[in-house]
Amino acid sequence: MEWYWALATLIGMVVFFMAMGVPVAFTFIITNIIGVIIFMGTTTGWVQIADNSTQLITRFTLGPVPMFIMMGALFFHTGLAIRVFDGLDVIFGKLRGRLCFLTVAGGSLFSTLTGSSMANTAMLGSLMVPEMQKRGYNWQMSMGPILGTGGLAMIIPPSALGVLLASVASIDVGKLLIAGFLPGFVLAGLYAVMIYLQLRINPESAPAYDVEMPPMAERIKIVCVNILPMGFIVFMVVGFIILGWATPTEAAGFGVLGVIIVAAAFRCLSFEAIKTATHATVKVGAMVFFIIMSSTVFSQLLAFSGASAGLLKWTISFGISKYWILLLMFFVLIALGMFMDATSMMLITVPIFFPLASQLGFDLIWFGLFVLMTFEMAGTTPPFGLLLYVMLGVAPKGTTLYQVAASAFPFLVCDAILILLMVQWPQLALWLPSLMG
Amino acid sequence: MGAISKIYDQLLFGMAGLSGVLIFFAFVSIVVDVLMRITGLEPFIFIMTMFEYILLWFTMLAAPYLLRIKGHVFIDAVTQFLPPAVKTFVAKLVYLLCITGCCIYGYNLMGLLLEAVQSGELDMRTYEVPIWLLFVPMPLCFFMCVIEFLRYLFGVDDMYSQSIEERENV
Repeated sequence: MEWYWALATLIGMVVFFMAMGVPVAFTFIITNIIGVIIFMGTTTGWVQIADNSTQLITRFTLGPVPMFIMMGALFFHTGLAIRVFDGLDVIFGKLRGRLCFLTVAGGSLFSTLTGSSMANTAMLGSLMVPEMQKRGYNWQMSMGPILGTGGLAMIIPPSALGVLLASVASIDVGKLLIAGFLPGFVLAGLYAVMIYLQLRINPESAPAYDVEMPPMAERIKIVCVNILPMGFIVFMVVGFIILGWATPTEAAGFGVLGVIIVAAAFRCLSFEAIKTATHATVKVGAMVFFIIMSSTVFSQLLAFSGASAGLLKWTISFGISKYWILLLMFFVLIALGMFMDATSMMLITVPIFFPLASQLGFDLIWFGLFVLMTFEMAGTTPPFGLLLYVMLGVAPKGTTLYQVAASAFPFLVCDAILILLMVQWPQLALWLPSLMG
Repeated sequence: MGAISKIYDQLLFGMAGLSGVLIFFAFVSIVVDVLMRITGLEPFIFIMTMFEYILLWFTMLAAPYLLRIKGHVFIDAVTQFLPPAVKTFVAKLVYLLCITGCCIYGYNLMGLLLEAVQSGELDMRTYEVPIWLLFVPMPLCFFMCVIEFLRYLFGVDDMYSQSIEERENV
């Protein structure tokens, strides 16, 4: 079979079954079963696909995924997240649009402590939207910064999705995680600038109001007590990886330990919180791992059928600039993201895009971050970006999907600017990983 | 029938509970491993392999439970626009496809498990373990998934009744 028919058959089957509503993990299982009959011409290959399905999820490098989920869940369920917000709240004083800036600062800090964009968006949304509405912020200002900042968890370490991507694409997990650190904070800065510009254009979108501020000594104390201990957790994850003291899996384990220690110090650790966090880890972690397990064979089928190699040769044969191909990949991901979650998108595109990026001469750590950035944008793209629905779920009654999507748009522009900055200055993403040797 | 159903439910929720215990144990073991290394003690060589096996067991033990609580991610971008009767028909078709897929995987994995037990083959990792340990939870998981899809097929419950805001992901 020609490579393009093989590609169309495999991708077509996945898209068709997903569109029917088959759960993503089972979509890959069914595609694998049919794919074996088509490309091997025999059912004896079924034993092989069952056997091969254990290969990827028994890798030590995937260990950070459940650990990061547990870390984030503990952070939310012990009440540490609220403490961080209280600490940040006293920093902004009477600044106009303070709740928006607080969202960006809090969301960025949350991103260094949790690995899930959805959890981040849900947390920020439920915490900040009611307060913003009460203070007279319009819908753009009350939802936009949350949607933008919520997605930061995808690129700022620890990122569960980053670990998945690195494992599936066979690139260095630690380097990809660390690569997101600087661009993540540059993006948070761009969001702050965007909020400032929006306020300049329409000051009434976030009316100023009086805030009773505690004395300076009290404020410093609140910041020291509520925020500085979080640095200890960040160090246990990011610091351990950069310094080479632990593998990403070990560092993730220490991240969980860090949250437990800090929560115990604040006397907010309970058996109930640990139980709830473990339950969340089983729900999200096992679901994602089941998808990874069933998709492993799909990548092998793409290679076996000649689809990956054929597409690679065909794309290279045009001799066009690699940046045009990058742009094409960007639009493919954004289009897929309109209908799919990031994990599914990743498993369909990684076996095709990463070999292509490697052939075109892109640094794969840089490209991994580019893909994560695009996932972040895709998650806030209508009509089915998942973060939009998470936001809609926590927004006040009567909020429409159009309002949520429109409020996210200026922040999507910031994401696009960051991607351009990364294209122009790749070192923005590659400098920190280069320190790791 | 009621007693069998009750025992089955206990097995389903028990397996999910064990999945949670295993992943928490994995976290504890990894921390202990590093602490032993830092303090100059000889770390247990089996920890890395055990951790890798836990990742598989944790996934497999929880998979049927996730079906029960509608925790497997799916896309309803197309089906949500279908008329109710067509939607129900497509849903039944989906359940049948999934049952077939799980039966084929479960049957082949059972074969692999029996073969691994008979051959006594070892899995060559940092610590050698019998390879059948890898396959033990897999046929069980897939056959229990068949039961869960049968529940949906016969209308005991509807897999698509969860709203999009309730769905979780990374």
